[in-house]
Amino acid sequence: MGDLVVGVLGCGSMGSGIVQVVAEAGYPVIVREVSSAAVDDGLARIDRFMAEGVRRGKVTEGQKMATQKRIRGTTEWGDLASCGVVIEAVFEDIQVKHAAIRSLSSVLVPGALVATNTSSLSVTEIAAAYACPERVVGMHFFNPAPLMKLVEVVRAVQTDEAALAEAREFVRSLGKEPVQTKDSPGFLVNYLFIPYVNQAIQAFDDGLASRDELDNALELGLGYPMGPLKLVDRIGLDVHLHASAALYRETGERRFAPPPLLRRLVKAGWSGRKAKHGFYTYSGQS
Amino acid sequence: MPLIRKVGVVGCGTMGSGIAVVVCRAGLQTVVREVSPARLAEGRQRIESFFDGSIQRGKLTSAQKEGYLRCIQWVTDLASLADCQVVIVAIYENVEGKRDLFCQLNTMCSPETIFVTNTSTLSVTAIAAGSGRPDRVIGMHFCNPAPLMKLVEVSRALQTSDETVQAANAFGEQLGKVIVSTRDTPGFIVNLFLVPFENDCIRALEAGLGSVEDIDKAVKLGLGYPMGTFELLDVVGLDVHRDVSMNLYHAFKDPRFAPPPLVGRMIEAGHLGRKTGRGFYRYDRQTGVGA
Repeated sequence: MGDLVVGVLGCGSMGSGIVQVVAEAGYPVIVREVSSAAVDDGLARIDRFMAEGVRRGKVTEGQKMATQKRIRGTTEWGDLASCGVVIEAVFEDIQVKHAAIRSLSSVLVPGALVATNTSSLSVTEIAAAYACPERVVGMHFFNPAPLMKLVEVVRAVQTDEAALAEAREFVRSLGKEPVQTKDSPGFLVNYLFIPYVNQAIQAFDDGLASRDELDNALELGLGYPMGPLKLVDRIGLDVHLHASAALYRETGERRFAPPPLLRRLVKAGWSGRKAKHGFYTYSGQS
Repeated sequence: MPLIRKVGVVGCGTMGSGIAVVVCRAGLQTVVREVSPARLAEGRQRIESFFDGSIQRGKLTSAQKEGYLRCIQWVTDLASLADCQVVIVAIYENVEGKRDLFCQLNTMCSPETIFVTNTSTLSVTAIAAGSGRPDRVIGMHFCNPAPLMKLVEVSRALQTSDETVQAANAFGEQLGKVIVSTRDTPGFIVNLFLVPFENDCIRALEAGLGSVEDIDKAVKLGLGYPMGTFELLDVVGLDVHRDVSMNLYHAFKDPRFAPPPLVGRMIEAGHLGRKTGRGFYRYDRQTGVGA
């Protein structure tokens, strides 16, 4: 670990989780947001998540405070100059990411490792905006980052072997498990997962089985922790639709095409658990 | 609904042996039938291995194992199944073979005997059509491994009577299983989703999206599945997977159901999985530990 300082761009739902992971692993973390309000929101998000962890007995109050002491929020790009690794987790839009990456180009030392947490954009395209594209990798965390052990380490066209190896080692130092994949649509997990969920939504629409029977059959027959309809409710039907549509646009493959029922449910505002209504209905607190 | 007391299980391979364990553990008299004494002995070995594993894990005593084995009768003739109230067929996945078997059983078994097919992808309706008692034929698809997986998919053929459906549902509950009713459509529910997902994982491997180990890790840690896809395929057997996959592809003509080219190559090389010591992983034959 030594004296590596880690930067994180963006403290939204994924960024805050990543900041927590890095700080819990013992690294000093500098998280950059667009405004001090956004910084405060982000730090509050981390505080809430960790407080829940204390309540559940996963961490002590002391550990929480020690972790939070390692985190510094800022709006200044210059504060990232000492970072040896920067993880970009800003809004999932190529223009926004390009702007962020370009800002890093004028701030970071040449040897710094830049990792993008993008889930559906091309790492190669993001890397092209950086001064040293061979130092850019994808580092795709899963939601919620503090709880999900897997990280996809993505090799862009430009990424060199050294950057890849450093990225894998860094991921392990966070207590996570890296899997290495190519910069192709959906990387590995979404590439496998999205067609399966789309199939479930279509099968339900076609009346293959009732919603509960479909979920039950896969939970009990295959040992999946959650059936597909229950799971996509939790992920958010709008989130799934966005990811599926992006993959379909890029590949033209039928299995990535969002099923009609999915679009209709999202149009109806039934985007899942967070909207209290998706394939299932949710009452009270989520 | 009167309880079932005597059940025949035809075929003691991977699924048949598991089903026999389920039946005798539920306290029912079980008649296991294989085509030859050699196959019967292999089937018995599978069942004993399962119980031995349970004993090792402290879930079963030796006395209990002996008790279960005493409930099992081992036969090679079909006539010994004559007084079974239910006969479950778990033989090679082929329509003609299953239909012929039911046809033979039809002449020997009492008219009330229910014929159950454990088929995962074939038409229960087609199997029923040649059985001589189509109204008493029903699909009950157990999941692998049958003693551990609670689900049974019950699928009625077009010809199956309501009485048979009720009896099958009650029988499933008597075995301690959870029943999901499905229509007689290829793959029912479980295989309809599992098979194309497995094919997608194989395609990901072919396309260099990840190594065998990384894809399995992604599936277990990213999706929370109990087993990696390639671990599972090695257990099922690449040859069985190809047959199941081809059946589904023939039915739907959907490319996701087509077995990718790598499957054929591995079968040609004899890398069928655990049963040949090598599949996607290598296995130490002595200990059966995955590499």
